Amino acid sequence: MIRLDNVTKVYEGGTVAANNVSLEIQKGEFVFLVGESGSGKSTLIRLMLRDEPVTRGTIWVAGKDITTLPKWKIPYLRRSVGTVFQDYKLLPNKTVNENVAFALEVLGRPSSAIKPQVEQVLDLVGLADKGARYPRQLSGGEQQRVSVARSFVNRPPIMLCDEPTGNLDPKTSVGIMKLLDRINRTGTTIVMATHDHAIVDAMKRRVVALDDGSVTRDELAAGYERRTEE
Amino acid sequence: MSRFFFLVREALTNLKRNLLVVAGAVLAVFISLSLAFGALVVNEVLRFNTLAWQEGVHVIAFLNDENAAGVSAGAHQGLIAEVESWEEVQAVTYYDKNDAWIEYQQIFDGQDDLLDIDPTILPASIRIELIEIELHSSVKFRLEQQTPVVREVDTAAEEIEQLQNLSSVLNVLGLGMAIVLGMSAVVLIANTIRLAIYARRDEVAVMKLVGASNWFIRVPFLLEGMIEGLLGAALAVFTVWLGSSRLAEATESFELIRLDVPNQFFFRWGILFLIFGALAGVIGSLLGLSRYLRDAEGVGADIPAGV
Repeated sequence: MIRLDNVTKVYEGGTVAANNVSLEIQKGEFVFLVGESGSGKSTLIRLMLRDEPVTRGTIWVAGKDITTLPKWKIPYLRRSVGTVFQDYKLLPNKTVNENVAFALEVLGRPSSAIKPQVEQVLDLVGLADKGARYPRQLSGGEQQRVSVARSFVNRPPIMLCDEPTGNLDPKTSVGIMKLLDRINRTGTTIVMATHDHAIVDAMKRRVVALDDGSVTRDELAAGYERRTEE
Repeated sequence: MSRFFFLVREALTNLKRNLLVVAGAVLAVFISLSLAFGALVVNEVLRFNTLAWQEGVHVIAFLNDENAAGVSAGAHQGLIAEVESWEEVQAVTYYDKNDAWIEYQQIFDGQDDLLDIDPTILPASIRIELIEIELHSSVKFRLEQQTPVVREVDTAAEEIEQLQNLSSVLNVLGLGMAIVLGMSAVVLIANTIRLAIYARRDEVAVMKLVGASNWFIRVPFLLEGMIEGLLGAALAVFTVWLGSSRLAEATESFELIRLDVPNQFFFRWGILFLIFGALAGVIGSLLGLSRYLRDAEGVGADIPAGV
């Protein structure tokens, strides 16, 4: 579903954010990208979203080489990849309903189809009764649920999540993770950057650890820290 | 179709939410286009007044009395016949001594001191309308050769010609001003839209995040610019029309100058100005957006380039 071949990203000024990273993520997988701040987790997410160009290497998303994608095709890539960020990235002047519907509006769906889809996804994230509220009227956890609803409303095959629990308390984080797990069970591939030990340890999914832009570990059903030999 | 309505709704909602910025843009267009439209109206006033002044008598030849100073009987009619045959001449009117006295009385009506004269001293004259006002000097020269019947030749053509030249200069200036002010309207709108986009850059980044194309982001801004341009232009046309009509009413009694610009002029140019205002809005928005969308190609344009 996602493949990175010898991907390197060097920012202006010489900071190496990804160093010859090769990775293959299968359809339906749930992968944690872990590492300290500055290890290159967010950069990998942004490279997979074509928010940044790679310096070297190739990235394949859903069978397409996105590194050579012309600029005008980038929106099409983003419509097939749901994204969830730490700061929710909601439109403050739109209600919950409008925020979620916006992802379908850009696809040109008729309003008759948008309404039931929005209702359905808000029901899934447990916000069916808060559609008329504005983001500022919601708690952090609720705003992140709206963000998840928006990224999942058009049923993308891939979801990229960059520290989605970074601003949330542990209890609320568990709620968001349960939601992402539920979405993953529908067959959606999820890649999530995090440095939340508890979540990674609890979920026991594939873990890709990064350090200074390089992959230092890639384990299935793993915890945040490397397994020690007993 | 539903996408189109969505974009229109977005534009209208944004206009409602950013009233202050919108008011600024409308005001900018209104001021620029009012000045530009005002310049055009002044041009029109000059144009039709110059035309009016050009109509009528251009050259007057005062004649010596017949049967005196070597002027034979019938010399006046002979001169009229000759002048009428000149190709530069459109029409000739003869004012005999009696007509001259009547005209004199009309001019100096109520000024008894001036009216207390011997009417026989007033000369007969011929009033000449020319085909082209520029021909006045040759006609004047030919008339001056008609001695002894012609006593003196007077012409208002020089003044009219000067006025005509002044009017052409003012026309060019006015048009130049209209163009410069029109362009400044575009720049002002571009700037205002850029400010609006800057204020909403996070929103634009989120739109990109969910896969909105540049055009999907652009269209509401373009519609906003178009509506702002239209509103500003409509206000400008209305204000200039109102000002001009009021001025024309106030100066109705003036004989020397007419200020009543025909409504047809306002209609024709008004529509052009509305179109220009709308276009200025669209172009301004495009300019404002192109730079921003080019700078902010990625969704994380607002995110510091960290790792």
